[in-house]
Amino acid sequence: MPTMRTLPRIPWLPRALLYLFVPAAINEPLIGDMDACFFDIAAERGTRAARRWYWYETRRTLRDLLVGRAIGRSPETHGTFRGDGFMPTLLADLRFAFRMLLRRPVFSALAILTLAIGIGASTAIFSAVRPVLLDPLPYPNATRIAAVWESDTDGSSSNLGFTTFSDFEEQSKSFEVLAAMGTGSGILTGDADPMVVDGLRVTPGFLHVLGVRPMIGRDFRAEENTKGSPRVTILSYRLWRDRFHADTAMVGRLITLSGNAYTVVGVMGRDFENLLEPKSQMLTLLRYVATDPYACRDCRHLRVIGKLKPTITPEAAQRELSGLLAQIAQQFASKYSSTAVKVPLLKHDLTKDMRTPLLLLSGAVVVLLLIACANVANLLIARGTQREGELAVRSALGAGRGRILQQLLTESLVLALAAGAVGTVVAALGVRGLVALAPSTLPRRDAIALDGGALVFAALLCAGVGLLCGLFPAIHASRSNLQDGMKRLSRQVAGARRARGAFVVAEVALALTLLICTGLLVRSAERLLAVSPGFDADGALSLRLQTGGTRYRNDTVTRAFFNEVLEQTRAIPGVTHAGFTSQLPLTDDFDAYSVHALGSSQSNPALDPSGFRYAVSPGYFEAMHIPVRSGRTFTDADRAGAERVAAVSRALAQQLWPRDNALGKLIRVGGITDSTRTVVAVVGDVHQVSLDNGNLNAVYLPESQWEGADGTMSLVVRSSVGADALTRAVRNIVGRVDRDQPITRVASMSEVVASSASSRRFTLVLFEAFGIAALILAGSGLYGVMSGRVAERLREIGVRLALGATSRDIAALILREGAMLSMTGMVLGLLATAGVVRTLDNLLFGVGRADTITYFAATFLLTAVAALSCAVPAIRAARLDPLVALRSD
Amino acid sequence: MTETTLGEFEQLVLLALLRLGDDAYGVPIQREIASRTGREPSFGSVYTTLSRLEDKGLIASRLGETTPQRGGRRKKLFAVLPEGQRAIAASVHAVRMMARGLGGSLLI
Repeated sequence: MPTMRTLPRIPWLPRALLYLFVPAAINEPLIGDMDACFFDIAAERGTRAARRWYWYETRRTLRDLLVGRAIGRSPETHGTFRGDGFMPTLLADLRFAFRMLLRRPVFSALAILTLAIGIGASTAIFSAVRPVLLDPLPYPNATRIAAVWESDTDGSSSNLGFTTFSDFEEQSKSFEVLAAMGTGSGILTGDADPMVVDGLRVTPGFLHVLGVRPMIGRDFRAEENTKGSPRVTILSYRLWRDRFHADTAMVGRLITLSGNAYTVVGVMGRDFENLLEPKSQMLTLLRYVATDPYACRDCRHLRVIGKLKPTITPEAAQRELSGLLAQIAQQFASKYSSTAVKVPLLKHDLTKDMRTPLLLLSGAVVVLLLIACANVANLLIARGTQREGELAVRSALGAGRGRILQQLLTESLVLALAAGAVGTVVAALGVRGLVALAPSTLPRRDAIALDGGALVFAALLCAGVGLLCGLFPAIHASRSNLQDGMKRLSRQVAGARRARGAFVVAEVALALTLLICTGLLVRSAERLLAVSPGFDADGALSLRLQTGGTRYRNDTVTRAFFNEVLEQTRAIPGVTHAGFTSQLPLTDDFDAYSVHALGSSQSNPALDPSGFRYAVSPGYFEAMHIPVRSGRTFTDADRAGAERVAAVSRALAQQLWPRDNALGKLIRVGGITDSTRTVVAVVGDVHQVSLDNGNLNAVYLPESQWEGADGTMSLVVRSSVGADALTRAVRNIVGRVDRDQPITRVASMSEVVASSASSRRFTLVLFEAFGIAALILAGSGLYGVMSGRVAERLREIGVRLALGATSRDIAALILREGAMLSMTGMVLGLLATAGVVRTLDNLLFGVGRADTITYFAATFLLTAVAALSCAVPAIRAARLDPLVALRSD
Repeated sequence: MTETTLGEFEQLVLLALLRLGDDAYGVPIQREIASRTGREPSFGSVYTTLSRLEDKGLIASRLGETTPQRGGRRKKLFAVLPEGQRAIAASVHAVRMMARGLGGSLLI
């Protein structure tokens, strides 16, 4: 007796096909029979023969099973099984749908293209929205990472000073780990050209908070965070790959940054995204101690994040830290104007700026999609009326209403899938455009891509759109009562007409809403760029120079460098003015200090206003064309050792001395330790943060009179020379003075102003694109409906013409109907806009929600397009030959 | 009495059922037809026909037992109902009537 061998395996694919396609009633016994035969043959002739037989028999069986299916039950053969399999009928419908689409190329192309635009745009926006709003942060501890901010009296968030951070680290019980970070940059020298590298200086717990580890090497150790110990750094993947050619022996290697030697202890992995500072390529240690002058409580330049303990909520942490700060502030009241602490989850913190624009864009794209669907639904309804003959035959052959419904829905699903395929191409282009257009404030820009998730979204969207577009037309078409001699009941015709009218009214309404919102954004952008930045952007070029290296630790050397560059730049022919500044307006430079007016009635230093500090050279005001409203500009006489002077912006002067002349008053910048400075000028206000930010307080000091030289300065040059030639000339100068000091961020001031509005522009451009698309779709929708109406009323028109109507009368007839539809749509659109426009509030600038010019312009534009769309059919109708019209049926 | 007409393959299946008696299910039916007529019908066509015959009320089915080789799938066993017997009898009779006397030209 042979031992029981393991049974050979039945091929799974034919088995699965049988399972799917064999009707339920015989599914079990048939497959059982097949299996039994399989084993018999395997025993007789071997496994391979059995498998071959199984495939062969499956093919035959499926062929014989499916051949029997017809579009309905045939009275003779009694049709197929009870319980027509779902799959066989679906396959039949799919094949038929494809044939139908191919048979009507114009209709299909139009429908597919329309839907493709909607689906493509929606998918592209989804790819942008998902990494920002939907995905969790790409860190293991994502749900427990929170940011910690101090809160100003006006509610805005501010960074922390190091001592405050240390206190929190010591005393807080809500966090497992806290980390502080500050930006920095340095110059990497060595084998290759010197290169400016942005970095992040952190406390050792930084990577712990995020929950990530370096790909090679190790994390920082606590003892490396002390001054005097050897400097260490962790590199980003990109820096390691590009600059160091993915050196496998990187760990332990020494690199030179700004003249200091750093040992590389680790390299981050490719997938690591530093969302706190996307530009940074290196992590180094902060190495602050409490006695450092810049570690003071009101030296608020550190950003803090923390990993919450498992059971602690952000709100609980916020309460605890606020309580702690209140206690601390009792001892150090002058340092804290408010003791509120904010602890938002990092994800919300990072995305809060772009949240509203992205949500609005999502809304806009949904509107566009709905318009596209309405358009296609109308096309399908129109086609449905044309196919009534075919549907009548099917019904006569026994197809039930459900069967016809299934077939029609399949057709619109196929349409949607084809549109999805084309839409994927549209989406790919759209994504590329989005990434190119995206402002730097858009977090996770690198994560915007057309990946698997986006494709799944697109597929689901296709299914939804197919159903949405097809449902009403299918229900309507299958409801046709065609039994009595296949005559079209006028009730059906009226129903179709009303439906098409309703859809096109909806299109017009949605289009108007979108256009009005776009118009408001356009006007806001206009108003924003009309705001005077406070300086003259045309004709001024800025170049940022950065000094680094051991030599430049000496302030004298640094100052000498900048002065030399400035002197030589002034000597360039064509240059009218040139000057340096430590902060350039409308960039991400941010350097603010409290400004205390001596002898003022306000004595609590914590309530001093803060202003942006500009350490400038003589010539700066002239180069930027910042008007000196009273007093005098800085000269070379204002140098170290001479009387300390300062200039204040008009806004700051108003705030400090509302009723007095500011000239001659004394101030201190940054606290009691600062020397007294005399105000010698009041200058015009300049926007530092952005054109719509109203913080205009500024204090200007001659750079030679500030303790410590700023290592990074922006040179502003006003000249009649072209930007390229000027840049080259300055580069030559800098190269001659000191070859190793790089120039970063060369931009004309016009570019600087424009890019300060880049986030607004991003939203605007997209809205404009959607608006134009909506306009085109609504116009073509109107055109389609009106053409259809003319075709329906052909007989009637012929009769009217015969009875003496002029062509003008006919045209007026058609236009009246078109006008009714359009106006109804626009009224509805205005109502919808009233409800929706409040969501735009955050993005509006200088325009109100009910800005009449915008509403008029949008309505006018839509009316013009609608008039054009209706005019063409109207003119065609007017030109009809009455005999032809009368003969039509 | 309404006459139910039988298709050609339906006749073969009914005749096979009559021959097999109690143990008639998919596999032996197919084998019976194959061995006697030389045509190898697919399971699909056999079961299609069986279902049709059942719809017409000529045969009845019941679920049988299973074997391990069938992976737990039960057999469906078929039996001819009196109505079916009448139908096949009439069918065969009709063919005989038509064929009587043709002898030589039919090369039976």
